[in-house]
Amino acid sequence: MCRIGAIKSKNYLHPSIALKLMRSQQKGHDNSGFAFVMQDLGGIFAAHKDLPILSMAATVEGTRRAEDILNNLGFTRVLQWSPDINHEKGLKIEPMPNYVFEMFQYPKSHKYATKEEKEELLTDAALMLRSELDKDNAGYIYSFWPDVLTLKEIGSPKDIGTYFNLWEETPDLCAKIITAQCRQNTNYDIVRYAAHPFFLDGYTVLVNGENTFFEKNKDYQMSLYKGYIGFESDSQCFLYTLHYINRILKWPIQYYKHTITPLPFDEIEKRNDRDVLLRIKASLAHLEINGPNTILGVLPDGRMLCVCDSKKLRPVVIGRTDETVIMTSEVTGINDILPDRDFEKDIYPNECETIIVENDLTVKRWQQ
Amino acid sequence: METLKIETLTDNKRMSTQELLQLITSKIEDGYTSFDIQACGQHDIGAACWSKDITKNLEFHITNPGQRAGAMALPGTKITVDGSAPADVGWLNSGATIIVNGDCGDTAAHCAAGGKIFVAGRVGTRSGALMKHDPKFETPEFWVLKNTGSFSFEFMGGGIAVVCGVDCENLTSVLGHRSCVGMVGGTIFVRGPISDVSDCVEVKSLDDKDIAFLEKGLFEFLENINKDSLYIDLLTWEEWRKIVPLPQGHQNSKMSLKYFRKNIWVEGGIFSDFIDDDMVVYPIPATGNGRIRIPKWNRESCVNCQLCISNCPQNAITNQGSLYTSDADKCIGCGICEAVCPRACWSLHSNTKEIA
Amino acid sequence: MATISINQLHLDDLPWIVEYDENKCIQCGRCTASCSFNAIKPVIEKRRKIISKLQKPYFESILVIKQVVDFEHHCRGCGMCSRVCPNDAIKAVRNFNDRYSVRYRAAKADSLKKGGRSNLNTEGRTLDKIKVGRISQMTDPSLDAARHKFELRTPFGRVLAADKLNFVNEYDVLKLTDTLPPNRWIYPVIMGDMSIGAISWRMWEAMAIAAAYLNEVMGIPVRMCTGEGGVPVKLLKSRFVKYMILQIASGHFGWNRILQAMPDMIEDPAGILIKIGQGAKPGDGGLLMANKVAKYVQEIRGVPKADLLSPPTHQGLYSIEESVQKMFLSMNAAFNFRVPVAIKVAASSTSVSVYNNLLRDPYNIVGGFFLDGLAGGTGAAHEISLNHTGHTITSKLRDCYLAAVHQGRQGEIPLFAGGGLGQSGSFAADAFKLICLGANGVFTGRLLLEIAGCVGNDTGKCNACNTGLCPAGLTTQDVCLTKRLDIDVAAQNIVNYFIATDIELKKLMGPVGNSTLPIGRSDALITVDKHVANRLDIQYVC
Repeated sequence: MCRIGAIKSKNYLHPSIALKLMRSQQKGHDNSGFAFVMQDLGGIFAAHKDLPILSMAATVEGTRRAEDILNNLGFTRVLQWSPDINHEKGLKIEPMPNYVFEMFQYPKSHKYATKEEKEELLTDAALMLRSELDKDNAGYIYSFWPDVLTLKEIGSPKDIGTYFNLWEETPDLCAKIITAQCRQNTNYDIVRYAAHPFFLDGYTVLVNGENTFFEKNKDYQMSLYKGYIGFESDSQCFLYTLHYINRILKWPIQYYKHTITPLPFDEIEKRNDRDVLLRIKASLAHLEINGPNTILGVLPDGRMLCVCDSKKLRPVVIGRTDETVIMTSEVTGINDILPDRDFEKDIYPNECETIIVENDLTVKRWQQ
Repeated sequence: METLKIETLTDNKRMSTQELLQLITSKIEDGYTSFDIQACGQHDIGAACWSKDITKNLEFHITNPGQRAGAMALPGTKITVDGSAPADVGWLNSGATIIVNGDCGDTAAHCAAGGKIFVAGRVGTRSGALMKHDPKFETPEFWVLKNTGSFSFEFMGGGIAVVCGVDCENLTSVLGHRSCVGMVGGTIFVRGPISDVSDCVEVKSLDDKDIAFLEKGLFEFLENINKDSLYIDLLTWEEWRKIVPLPQGHQNSKMSLKYFRKNIWVEGGIFSDFIDDDMVVYPIPATGNGRIRIPKWNRESCVNCQLCISNCPQNAITNQGSLYTSDADKCIGCGICEAVCPRACWSLHSNTKEIA
Repeated sequence: MATISINQLHLDDLPWIVEYDENKCIQCGRCTASCSFNAIKPVIEKRRKIISKLQKPYFESILVIKQVVDFEHHCRGCGMCSRVCPNDAIKAVRNFNDRYSVRYRAAKADSLKKGGRSNLNTEGRTLDKIKVGRISQMTDPSLDAARHKFELRTPFGRVLAADKLNFVNEYDVLKLTDTLPPNRWIYPVIMGDMSIGAISWRMWEAMAIAAAYLNEVMGIPVRMCTGEGGVPVKLLKSRFVKYMILQIASGHFGWNRILQAMPDMIEDPAGILIKIGQGAKPGDGGLLMANKVAKYVQEIRGVPKADLLSPPTHQGLYSIEESVQKMFLSMNAAFNFRVPVAIKVAASSTSVSVYNNLLRDPYNIVGGFFLDGLAGGTGAAHEISLNHTGHTITSKLRDCYLAAVHQGRQGEIPLFAGGGLGQSGSFAADAFKLICLGANGVFTGRLLLEIAGCVGNDTGKCNACNTGLCPAGLTTQDVCLTKRLDIDVAAQNIVNYFIATDIELKKLMGPVGNSTLPIGRSDALITVDKHVANRLDIQYVC
């Protein structure tokens, strides 16, 4: 089981907070990797929140090819940031040659394009980059989206922190939303793409647990949308379903829970909206999940989301102060980051809830 | 000896669970009995250890423990957690007193078989599951000030749990959803609303013995979690109920199928408007109308040899003078009369017929 | 001196020989009284006794039980004689040297007919080569079959893709605006599909009562298909019709009564099943031998006493498009588009094309696709059809599911698979495996007869359903035989079997960690047979 965490704050936070959040939960993961997504960025990326940032780990050749592709599409580089690598010996990490965080200006052709058209362009570009780099394992495209930065690496979280100099707080790298995972994903090959959080078109999802309906989820999702690819982790299905419900079908976010863990029939029968719920249960039967999972997510508008499986087989707790809300697997992480909060206000989500952290940090609990 | 203080996080370096537990063990060997541990999520603190000097109790005072605080803990151990603890507090507790001055994560008191667990807040999903009681030892107790998560007390086999329902005004059930599934033993006392409990248990009101137990127990519980002031509020016994398992084999018996057919199903049967079925069931072989074949006697050639009478296995054939009859109520239509008759007086005829 | 001729039918030609031990026999007559086929009778036999060399031998007459040797009354091996014998003096034994099928054809210039299912079984059972091999142990927990909450329900009726539901968002609440195709959630096992006429009125009513009892007392929402032999009006006008899927086949038997009852019906039926073909005898129509066409059967079907042969195809349906137009539209319209209408076809090499066509049907009025495999049962069929036509169910079901996956339309027309399920002892296992391979549910008919008391088996024992002489009162219209069947016991047995099946399905769902049906979860299955693995796209293991 992985340990996962999502932090949303009124202040800019440095990713070291994610390492600290995960540190006390270490026994629950296997030190096999660390990954985080930062959204609502501060520091050096704060000035251009509307411009896409490419987050990529690649070989030298891969980096060059990716840049060529983007140049050919008309993107022009605005800004580049590279982590300050610490080449200390003995670190448990399997680094890639290049870690690229580049901000691009949209092509001239898209100067007056709508938001939807720009997003379409970014999705297509990211898919193109990925398929190009996949050909000879030349690199990994994690995200190509405005105001989003992703880093994933294989190894010990502590050492990954040291390697990228993440323990030391610096003002140039910070964000108001940070989601992070320490993986225990030794079920399958350890692949960078299999590390949470997963990102697609503004949606970020991280999950712990096993998706026992992976096969049927995947079989169905493969033909739903061009971005539903990879499936290196059975948890990508949770992201794709969230994306499908909210972005493609444009259904309110509460229907995510109704899709992945539909209510039992005897409860649906008692409800006024039973016709709608039964139709969803039938039409999206292949998106149902049936495993032990806690799902944390970030929506394109910056709100955060938490839902659990219908038997509540995975832990999660939400702690908060006026400044910061943290959702994570175990309370120990919150105790470390927010030791002075009122723990009586902690929320232990149940199996029927959808929890939304609004942008003003109010927490909405919606019972299925 | 004085209390030993242990810090587990120094300069971003975190002591591992193994390092911490081995440190504790070696300090117990040195004679320490009291520990004050600033933990950073280390697991199993307080687990399966005992004082060298059996007259002395072990005491642990912990902040920020990881999973299974007080797991597999033994009599003579007292564990106090400041603030909240994650999953599995008091798992397999075998006699320790465990006090959590905050909330517990999922599966608190899971499989607890001894000792007392006092929780000053809430407990998570599947708490109290599989609690059990070995009659050679004291009854395990699990006291919760507020409420439990869903699926609590699954498969509970023994012990006593008390859920006080404090600060639960907005909840529909202080036991969450689908609690007590598969519960076969033990007792749960609960104050506040409950819904959706398993149908393998019954919910009763308290008797005098229960009240006496709670009066005494609540006092001890609240004292341990420093909430003495709540005592009076919790003594309104009408607010309390007791959950115990239904005796085995006491589950509702279902209506018989025959009763269903006669009283619920279409009156007279769905074919009754065009078929006349008396619903008689024929044995095999049958007599009377149920015979597949029926013997007929023809007097013409009868020589009164009485072979048919003596060979009929059913003693169905009688004669009055030279008039032979087969009693339909005895005859099964086997054809032996036909076979033994030297003059072919008996012949078997098909009784095949359609329903009227 | 008695002689024989070489072409005379002899005991040795028959498929079953009655073994009889005169030393054990007490001549109670129960065996002959019980044999519905008239295949044994008491006779006097001569015995020659030799006393001594001085005296002439003499003859003694003794009573014995003897087998009848003719085409009409040959022993079917049902075993009723040995069941009733108090001394184990008699039993039917299979004759491996029989020449019956040759003799019959040579003598009668007619095809052989029988009931039951194919006896050749040359294919082996694919489902038995598959195991549930993906067990949840560490990363995800198994569920407790007895105590966790499971939901065994599957949609019946056309399912639209989510983007075709046309919900309207009113203040973050989705509302239905369109009239959508009817869709019901039912138990994943549909029972019956055997007509009044093919089976006795008692057996038919026992099934109907069992279905109602399972729904109303046990909370198991099983549906029963009526078969096509009419439906009793009393049932049509009762609330219990909501558990019934009305079948229409090429004979259209009994539909005038159904239509005339409609103004008085208080509930809609559960669905309509258009039967195009039957797995046991694909490409052949229904067959009800005259000896089973009792008076009430004549009435309800509107026919005289005669062999009833339904045409192999719906008259006027010469293409899939026409079948959609005529049958689906009419049947949908009959109940004002409130009742799901499904189609049952015999599994065939062409099934996938049919399924694809139906999936693409723009009117969305096909509510289910029932695929019937060659191991299915039948009340009466030509042996040539039973043994030599048909398509195995497993790969065809899988093909249809994967064809839907290919289009991204799995689940839109629910797939139901049947034909020989439970044949090797475990119906729940067969059902579960087919569900993992993509079936929304399964259906079963012949198994219900076995549950109710059928004495036959799949290797030729009895299989005389076509004769109307069913010794168990199941597939007969004779009063004496039908009344052997205790309707309450038969219904109770069916109920019990479903309860057991429900427990066993959960016993398979628990270990793979699922509390809802694992439709399409082929990752849960493994096989030691490479060909099966390749063909079904499941994991090969050894």
